[in-house]
Amino acid sequence: MNPRLGLAGRAAFTLLLAWLVLYPILIVVGAAARPDALAAFASRPGEWRALWASVWISLASVALAAAIGVPLAFLFEWLEFPGRKTLGSLIALPAVLPPFVGVIAFLFLYGESGFVARAVQRTLGLEQAPWRLQGAGAILLVHAYSMYVYFYLFTRAGLAKLDASMLEAAQALGAGRWESLRRVTLPLLRPSLAGAALLVFMTALGSFSAPYVFGGGFRLMTTQIVATKLNGELPLAMVETVALALVAVAALAVLRRTEGDDILTALGKGTAPRRRPIRGAGARRLAAVAGWALAALLLLPHLTLALVSLVPYGSWTTETLPPVLSLVNYQRLLGEAERLRPLVNSLWMAAASTLAALVLALVAGALGARRRPWQFRGPIEGLIALPWALPGTVFAIALATTFSVHSPFTLRWVLVGTTVLLPLAYLVRNLPLTGRAVLAGYRQLDPGLAEAAASLGAGRWAAFRRVTLPLLKPALAAGGSLAFVSALGDFVTSIVLYTYDNRPISIEIMSSLRLSELGIAAAFGVILMVVSAAVLGLGARQ
Amino acid sequence: MTAFVMLDGVHKQWSHTVAVGPLSLDIPQGEILALLGPSGSGKTTVLRLLGGFETCDAGRILVAGEDVTAVPPARRRCGMVFQHYALFPHLDVGENVAFGLKGRGTREGGRVAAKVAEVLALVGLEGFERRRVQELSGGQQQRVALARALAPEPRVLLLDEPLSNLDPALRERTRRELRALIKRVGITSIFVTHEQDEAFDLGDRVAVLQAGRLEQLATADELYDHPASLFVATFVGRANVLRGRAAQALGGRDGQVLVVRPERLRFADAGVPGVVRERRYTGAAAFYQVDTEPGDRLEVLAAPDAARVGDRVYLEPLGVIAFPEARG
Repeated sequence: MNPRLGLAGRAAFTLLLAWLVLYPILIVVGAAARPDALAAFASRPGEWRALWASVWISLASVALAAAIGVPLAFLFEWLEFPGRKTLGSLIALPAVLPPFVGVIAFLFLYGESGFVARAVQRTLGLEQAPWRLQGAGAILLVHAYSMYVYFYLFTRAGLAKLDASMLEAAQALGAGRWESLRRVTLPLLRPSLAGAALLVFMTALGSFSAPYVFGGGFRLMTTQIVATKLNGELPLAMVETVALALVAVAALAVLRRTEGDDILTALGKGTAPRRRPIRGAGARRLAAVAGWALAALLLLPHLTLALVSLVPYGSWTTETLPPVLSLVNYQRLLGEAERLRPLVNSLWMAAASTLAALVLALVAGALGARRRPWQFRGPIEGLIALPWALPGTVFAIALATTFSVHSPFTLRWVLVGTTVLLPLAYLVRNLPLTGRAVLAGYRQLDPGLAEAAASLGAGRWAAFRRVTLPLLKPALAAGGSLAFVSALGDFVTSIVLYTYDNRPISIEIMSSLRLSELGIAAAFGVILMVVSAAVLGLGARQ
Repeated sequence: MTAFVMLDGVHKQWSHTVAVGPLSLDIPQGEILALLGPSGSGKTTVLRLLGGFETCDAGRILVAGEDVTAVPPARRRCGMVFQHYALFPHLDVGENVAFGLKGRGTREGGRVAAKVAEVLALVGLEGFERRRVQELSGGQQQRVALARALAPEPRVLLLDEPLSNLDPALRERTRRELRALIKRVGITSIFVTHEQDEAFDLGDRVAVLQAGRLEQLATADELYDHPASLFVATFVGRANVLRGRAAQALGGRDGQVLVVRPERLRFADAGVPGVVRERRYTGAAAFYQVDTEPGDRLEVLAAPDAARVGDRVYLEPLGVIAFPEARG
């Protein structure tokens, strides 16, 4: 390729990404820079409370998720007991529950009219429900359940990479089991732990579904922004959005520093420690029973959802368990065109946004796949990663603001109220997922392969189609399946940007709940869950 | 000779078919013992049993008269140098060396620092305390691993293939330095290797292991000149192995296997007739591959100008080692 043309191509691509990812944020920052809005933000204690709540809830989520996930990872990686393999993969199951679906599953299970509350109420003969699932405690419960998986998976991966001879060296130098753990294992796990902490903090900071459903009067910044926007105080919503974005960026900067470098593991060459069998039949049985009990506890939300989806409308009132079960909800959902609509909407928007995100990731990869250092590498990779660093609400507000004005000279068009804006938002949010996978895939490719194809007479396009693309298939499948699933289950951006014509599943679930059509809501949840699990499974198989 | 380290009938069963031992070894104080054997011979298992990283199924291990069979590695006082060194990447050189030293409080800190400096000087790395281990060359990493193992003043030093991670050019020099250093410290040492040169150069005595069993424990000369088994004869040094008619041609009796070292064969005017097929020149001498009339190929070490390819020659053995066939 003509080098000048290549340079122009990269510049154009960088500008396209900047327009998609950075420009809307800048517009929000500009809109927020209004003295009256800033003054309103600064003077209202509710704003500061919400901001502080977002921070401490996120920190507490990290602590809780670590407290559950890290010990579990040690248990499953270091000990051997019956059922370890099956349980070890079951334990990652909360990951297939889209956030909003998880939240309603918790509502059905632990909410004031959920199964557990009903059972307790009946057992103790209480007049009223024994508790209300509301406020910070409820939010933290959901966060701990859905986010410990990050710590569990990261710690297990870190432990699997650990060199057994490191631990033996510590022992040979006189360190006992706890001392080796404190002085060798944990320091070596630091990159994994910091990575998980960062992921949990960012997820919790951007979490919208749990605070939206369970928050009540307790506001986090994400729910505060949406409430302010609904109140029509747009400038204030902009300031709130920028404040949330700043917290996210600050957290990213701090946690990135503690993450340290990967060099920690670079020296290790040996094999991971052998798993120690639990000795003693009693202890082994106890471990197995405890393990299965834990798995049941983790699976309870999934099962609840499935059960509620079989309850016909109005058939379940005061009984502990629903008296009638039937498939009527699914029949209605799939039989009535109006009910089927959200499912079709979600599927096409998730598919289109994933496809577009994959294409952009491939272009970024192809532009970078040269041997000589390429221009715009930093900006392109930074722009692709940016949506990951900012909560979904921030992007939703930013896109809604940017594309509510008709001004072609500043590259702004009115997209609010059209069906295009929501898939565009999904695309922006998907970019880091596909980008990370595809760029990593490109880095593992031997540049000599494309040259070999060229020497055998393949043109650029043929080489791409016949060599590069097949080799990138695992990366495309991994990134694509993650992106598809996250778009399919999205609630955060949807609630800000949906129109009646493109309302997705999550919004339909919410309106079903408002109409007390619990069965329909649960049936949608089950479909979402099953499709997500299938797609993730398919992506992992490649 | 009194044993400082003693393995008494040590046995470790890995599976039905794979086992190490029963094995008995006596190692006097201050000796450097090489455990030599092909991969899978159990040499590393023996080392790990000594270090306490594996537990024996039977037998006892004694160090200085104390039964340490059930003592965990942390209290066994065996220094260990791992094959890939296992330096802690989150600690610098000084912290690595100080890891096994007790007392990190301020009062004891000075003592620890002095000990670290002393051991680093011993391995020729003065002033390396604040270096990151990732910045060191392979040879330097190996010396840090050695310093770290020696710092707590262990009773026994265990080394797992200590030189295998170095590039070949460096190995021979490091071997001599390592031996000099261990001798200076005077610590009883046991190391594992699969290379005969290394075992001969570094060890006072060599224990040859095969399929979990001790084939022979002897000095290098003895192993070479008086191998206890056909396995030792062929594993240690180059050897021509002759059976049947070919063995009888060199004076072997029925049912005997003969081993002839290449340098113990000579071109002569009479003897086993053959044709030189290949000549490999090594400088001081040359290896000749000779196809004999009985149909064997023998290797002969002789002067570079002793024969040419294609020459018809006669081979005369200067010394043969005979083993009964069954033992092979």
